[in-house]
Amino acid sequence: MAPKNQFHDFHPPIAQNGLYWVVPVPEGGLRYTDDGRTVTLEMKDVPVVDQPRWPALDATTTPATMNFKLVFKATEKPVAYEDPFKHFRVTGFLATAQLEAQVAVPEIGFTWKSDPLETSKSDFAVLGDHVNGKYYDAEHPASKPAAK
Amino acid sequence: MPSRFRSDPLISHRRALSAGASLAVGYSGPLDPSLGAEPARQQPQHPPANGGTDPFPIPWLDKNGSHNQPAGPNMEPSHVFHFKGKVGRCAGFVGMGTDGQGNRVPFGLRTTDYGFMDGEYWAGRTAHRAVLTHI
Repeated sequence: MAPKNQFHDFHPPIAQNGLYWVVPVPEGGLRYTDDGRTVTLEMKDVPVVDQPRWPALDATTTPATMNFKLVFKATEKPVAYEDPFKHFRVTGFLATAQLEAQVAVPEIGFTWKSDPLETSKSDFAVLGDHVNGKYYDAEHPASKPAAK
Repeated sequence: MPSRFRSDPLISHRRALSAGASLAVGYSGPLDPSLGAEPARQQPQHPPANGGTDPFPIPWLDKNGSHNQPAGPNMEPSHVFHFKGKVGRCAGFVGMGTDGQGNRVPFGLRTTDYGFMDGEYWAGRTAHRAVLTHI
């Protein structure tokens, strides 16, 4: 059930194969500082849908577009998450993440723009090096199921 | 009492097999490729059937029965399976904004999450370089 204070929910459509709200980042959309500890993701005119009643299974959608800038900054707190049963490992640092965004839903004449990036905050963020699936299994032969 | 299982068809089948075997070894002389030999058939060339090259979702399902990955400590930070590279993952945004009518409207929930995946994924039995985002 959608939260009662949720009036809009913007995200890309789920792909045919089930890939969840994932889209390619255009060339230059992801930028790293030289030390790799600050990462900026910035995209414009991303085709999304407005789906206010998500996650209701019959939640209707309205085409929308989204601009956003997301900045990760690594802290000094290292993290290492690994789950052999789910075949993944990530090593990196906890981070801060801040976001500014702008959306438009032309069919209903709705627009919205966030306050500047510096005014937002997130509860959780992590930056790291990640491996999963076959790449994880290649490093951990014992976790790989027998071939057919 | 007549048997429920008649033996005649079996005998006939054996005869047929014998006849077939005779035909198979009917020519026992020296092999002459120019005499009645058919040209070798070219094996038809079809493209590999390796599946699609779109990124593959993480197999596990969330509480909504979707291939979504909540963000948090000890959670899978990628939305793509068979992946290696750089990732960033975050959730729980809080912020404010203004709509086109000038109304102040907050944004963000505990589940408002973003992420990027910058590296290599495996699909269609080959590796692909990609920069992807979950928004």
